[in-house]
Amino acid sequence: MTAFELKNIVKSFGGVKALKGVDLQIESGRTHVLLGENGAGKSTLIKILTGALTPDEGTILIDGEACALRNPEHAQAMGIAAVYQEPMIYPHLSVLENIFMGREIAGPLGFVRRDAMRTSVRPVLAELDLPETLLSRPMSSLSLGYQQLVLIAKALVQNARLIIFDEPTSILSRAESQRLFAIIGRLRDGGRAIVYITHRLEEVPQIGDRVTVLTDGQVTGAYRAGEFSETTLLELMAGKKSREIEREIEEHRDIAADAVRHPVLTVENLTHESYFADVTWRIPGGVITGIYGLVGSGRSEVALSVFGFLRPSGGRVLLDGRAVAPADPAEAIAIGIGYLPEDRKLQGIFATKPLESNLTSNRLGAFARTLGLLDFKELFAEAGRVMARYNIKAQSSRTMLSTLSGGNQQKGLFARWAGKPFKVLILDEPTRGIDVRTKDEIHDFIRDLAAQGVAVVVISSDLKEVLSVSDRIIVMRDGKVVDEVAGAQMTPERVLGSAIGAGKAAA
Amino acid sequence: MSLKAGARPDKLAKPPASAHGWVRAAARFAKGREGVLLITLCLLVIVISIGSHGAFWAPVNLNNLMVSAAVTAIPAIGMTLVILTGGIDVSIGSMLGLVAAIGGKFFEAGWSIPAVAPLFCLIGAAFGLVNAAIIIGGRVPPVVATLGTLSIFRMCVFLVLGASWITMIPPELTVIFISDRLWFLPVASVMALVLMAVFAFFLRSFRLGRHIYAIGNNEEAARLAGVPVARIKLYAYTLLGMFTGIAALLTLGQSPLVQTSTGTGFELAVIAAVVLGGTELSGGRGTILGTLLGTLIVGLVNDGVVLMHIQPFWGGVLLGGIILLSIGVNQRWPGRGGEATE
Amino acid sequence: MGATGFQPGRILLLAALTALALIGFASGDPGILSGANLYSMAVFAVEIGIIAFGQTLVICGGDGGIDLSVGAIAALSQVLMGMALQAGIPWPASVLIAAAGGTVMGAVNGVLVTCFRIEPIITTLATMFVFDGLALVLTGGINIDLTTMPQTFLDLGQGSVFSLPFQLLCIYLPVFVILIALQHRTLFGRSLYLVGTNTLSARLTGIRVDRLRAWTYVIAGLLSGLAGAIGAARLGTASPTASEQANLISIAIVVLGGSSIFGGDGSVVGTAVATVLIGVVNYGLSYNDFNPIYQAGVMGIILIVAVLIENLASGRNWSAVPFLSLAKGKSSG
Repeated sequence: MTAFELKNIVKSFGGVKALKGVDLQIESGRTHVLLGENGAGKSTLIKILTGALTPDEGTILIDGEACALRNPEHAQAMGIAAVYQEPMIYPHLSVLENIFMGREIAGPLGFVRRDAMRTSVRPVLAELDLPETLLSRPMSSLSLGYQQLVLIAKALVQNARLIIFDEPTSILSRAESQRLFAIIGRLRDGGRAIVYITHRLEEVPQIGDRVTVLTDGQVTGAYRAGEFSETTLLELMAGKKSREIEREIEEHRDIAADAVRHPVLTVENLTHESYFADVTWRIPGGVITGIYGLVGSGRSEVALSVFGFLRPSGGRVLLDGRAVAPADPAEAIAIGIGYLPEDRKLQGIFATKPLESNLTSNRLGAFARTLGLLDFKELFAEAGRVMARYNIKAQSSRTMLSTLSGGNQQKGLFARWAGKPFKVLILDEPTRGIDVRTKDEIHDFIRDLAAQGVAVVVISSDLKEVLSVSDRIIVMRDGKVVDEVAGAQMTPERVLGSAIGAGKAAA
Repeated sequence: MSLKAGARPDKLAKPPASAHGWVRAAARFAKGREGVLLITLCLLVIVISIGSHGAFWAPVNLNNLMVSAAVTAIPAIGMTLVILTGGIDVSIGSMLGLVAAIGGKFFEAGWSIPAVAPLFCLIGAAFGLVNAAIIIGGRVPPVVATLGTLSIFRMCVFLVLGASWITMIPPELTVIFISDRLWFLPVASVMALVLMAVFAFFLRSFRLGRHIYAIGNNEEAARLAGVPVARIKLYAYTLLGMFTGIAALLTLGQSPLVQTSTGTGFELAVIAAVVLGGTELSGGRGTILGTLLGTLIVGLVNDGVVLMHIQPFWGGVLLGGIILLSIGVNQRWPGRGGEATE
Repeated sequence: MGATGFQPGRILLLAALTALALIGFASGDPGILSGANLYSMAVFAVEIGIIAFGQTLVICGGDGGIDLSVGAIAALSQVLMGMALQAGIPWPASVLIAAAGGTVMGAVNGVLVTCFRIEPIITTLATMFVFDGLALVLTGGINIDLTTMPQTFLDLGQGSVFSLPFQLLCIYLPVFVILIALQHRTLFGRSLYLVGTNTLSARLTGIRVDRLRAWTYVIAGLLSGLAGAIGAARLGTASPTASEQANLISIAIVVLGGSSIFGGDGSVVGTAVATVLIGVVNYGLSYNDFNPIYQAGVMGIILIVAVLIENLASGRNWSAVPFLSLAKGKSSG
């Protein structure tokens, strides 16, 4: 019985089509897995389902009737709830309050009836196997896993008929994931519809009754349980162009056999309590090393530790054979390590400042003369040079960065780092959220960097990108390095498979 | 995204070990912020008793202390609410002066206490409303807005008073609130205690009170959950204004005089009391009990300075030092979110 | 300079308002435009203007940066100087003591904000208490009479050069020029703008955010100390309650001058022009025998109106988020 249906959903963001006509049928009492790579359109689809976005085209049907979801409250009223990766909580309030905030059971004057709330939540707690003593504890004292369960309880208390899980296991441990699956199974058996988004292949057979594969904004496969194999899914996720990618790989330069044995940067058994454990990277100069992994695999955190922004708890970093431990990014830059941040808006750019400011922000010292006065003539000249070199389209170097297109902003951010000689340059998602043509441009720039002898690291969640740009790939998963491939081994199946743990028994 | 506030290690949370409810509650109290404050309070009392050679315990002194504490405590309730929602109001000193000035004018004109007393509340509330309008409606950051109204209100005090003082305050005021006692405490103090109890109860057990905490914890989530954020903030500032009005009335009972400088610096004592009590400036955390203890400590310090013949000017230094120390302590013993822990 | 904070539009507006104010006052009494009065206006504005410069830098650094203790620093500094003078220390050294004292106090603020991570509002509120209190303790509440000090010292605040006030020509203007250079043309200034624009990006681009911010408090302290010294020389008395209004007025001037209260924008040039406007308004009020309380009140109105206009103009959608570190709690700070 199709309780919820999405028909021909189209959604664009500034000229880029995120969803190109997606059909989805969600049945009650079934767990529907939505599979896809980063950027495939999953989160956009979910935002439409929860009323946070309205589709440009297409219809939403609830119980067979068309229903335009005006806003999140409306969606909630229609029984749609979502549990997100990043829990939105009230940290200093109790679990009970987190569950009931905004919909408390209260008397006429507003006197909060905690006993009534406890009673009403009891069956939900039972369903989720949560102890009642949990209700009195402050939310912040719970682990993320338990916080997530509380948010599920919240959804259930709201009588959700459809519960959407957005990559829930990315913050959970193995054991917590198993517990979550059991709970999802029970919820489903209770008649609810579940949509479960993931890119972890091994989870699919455990909980999926139906699987829909989303690639580049389109549904590329829809199966029932038992109708699919891991390889089919892998291929679908990687995209139809995997054959082309394989061809490109053969065109790569051969890495000098002993280059890896004399790396410029070595990360040795690096551990950080919260993010990653026992990570070893060997990064040779003149080579592009790709680091592939899913969100949460710890790649950025390793990079940030190398860059001096995070402090690792164990292991060491060697630059040119010498142990280094930069105390902050300024030191890292001084010794020749550069890092292009993952999130352009929050961590990279200075939106209200001119382009030239953005381009030169990491090397202002080079333009400082006596008394710290800056040589602006030189600065602007350099900015102009960089602008031209990286083909950044702007009226002049004095234009405010936020007026530039996304692609040019990213190029500007890239140019900030690429335009200065580094021994090691780590690029974290260098082409995220920009158009194809600029992507290719930046890829060319990256290859140039390597040709100049820089040890280039490209962290990416885009399989196609990482395969076509890298000379070798390190795969990370759950905070550990799980694979290292080069040359002919660099196939989409191999890389993606290692990243999601395909072929391994669920244990 | 990698840079979110510390990913937590994947550990299963363990439910607390079972024990008798009251034992647990007592332990939590002692370990928590309130426990530390209580201890500090006791220490201060001891120090001052000794340092003043017992003068501390003179009934006159205790009375004064109770009254001063009440005058600070009542607006401190409102300030707690405001800070819990993530705001602040540094203008209440001038507000107090202005309400006292306007109210005083009515007294001068011969109005009786029962007629004027409610006016104090209303006028104070109106000024609180002004602050709220600028902050919420005008989207001016609370510090900036109330820094501005601080001066504007003070200017208005001058406008109302001219260069003269108001001295025609009915002495009954003093009798009613200060001299008269209810269960051994001056009426003013009883008022303060009652109000504190009421609001402590309100914050703990009423939906609106819980919403105040929610706003301070996560304003965005609260908004999405349907909590009327703007309206609640409006209430908080207005209430603070009303309480300031009450404090103005009590101040006139304490010393029946209104001059242009009446109330100067008052806001600092109130904020000090609230911050000391464990309410965090970023909102979402703090209790009325903490504020009460903070108020008592502030009152004790001021009183002690006088009693022990310490140069009165040290009062300010001590207050500033206490605030800084308390922030540091805050980080070690955070105030509670007032969550219902049973 | 480019788009890094210099706002010609705002400056023109302020200049126009100043002209308007002058015309307004002059129409009431043309005598106000006399040389002597303009002179007094300038004298009056110099001290608050110097303090406002310091405030500009602190606010530019962003993340809730503000200094409520500037007036107290000025007061305590001049008290220290007064005591030194009374103790017979030659006046150049005493003035240095004022400056050094201010610098140390600024450093205290800087350390508390960056190392102990206490929010600037509450830190400087508390230090304001402490500094004011210390000034009162040291003087017993009594002003220190300096009228017997050497004339050269008193000339710091009372003398004139080329018929312009000494402190204007020889202190304010040089400080102004230095600060323009500092804010717009040095590594420090440019880094400060970046820090105020986006703290996290600044950190990841290799800027030492905490160090930079701490320095702004030190500079603000130094400038406040200097202003205190000038003020004491001008009045011939070191007062523990000097510059009481400076906190509020300096913030009003900075915001009026175009600096965003959230940091990363604005310029000392705007502050200077705003100082002129405020100076004119203040002087006009006192010339017409308005009690100084009116000045403060008008400052308050101007402050609020300035922010309101800024909000309208930029169409910013800031909810009533408190003026505190917006990134509080995140790992980067």
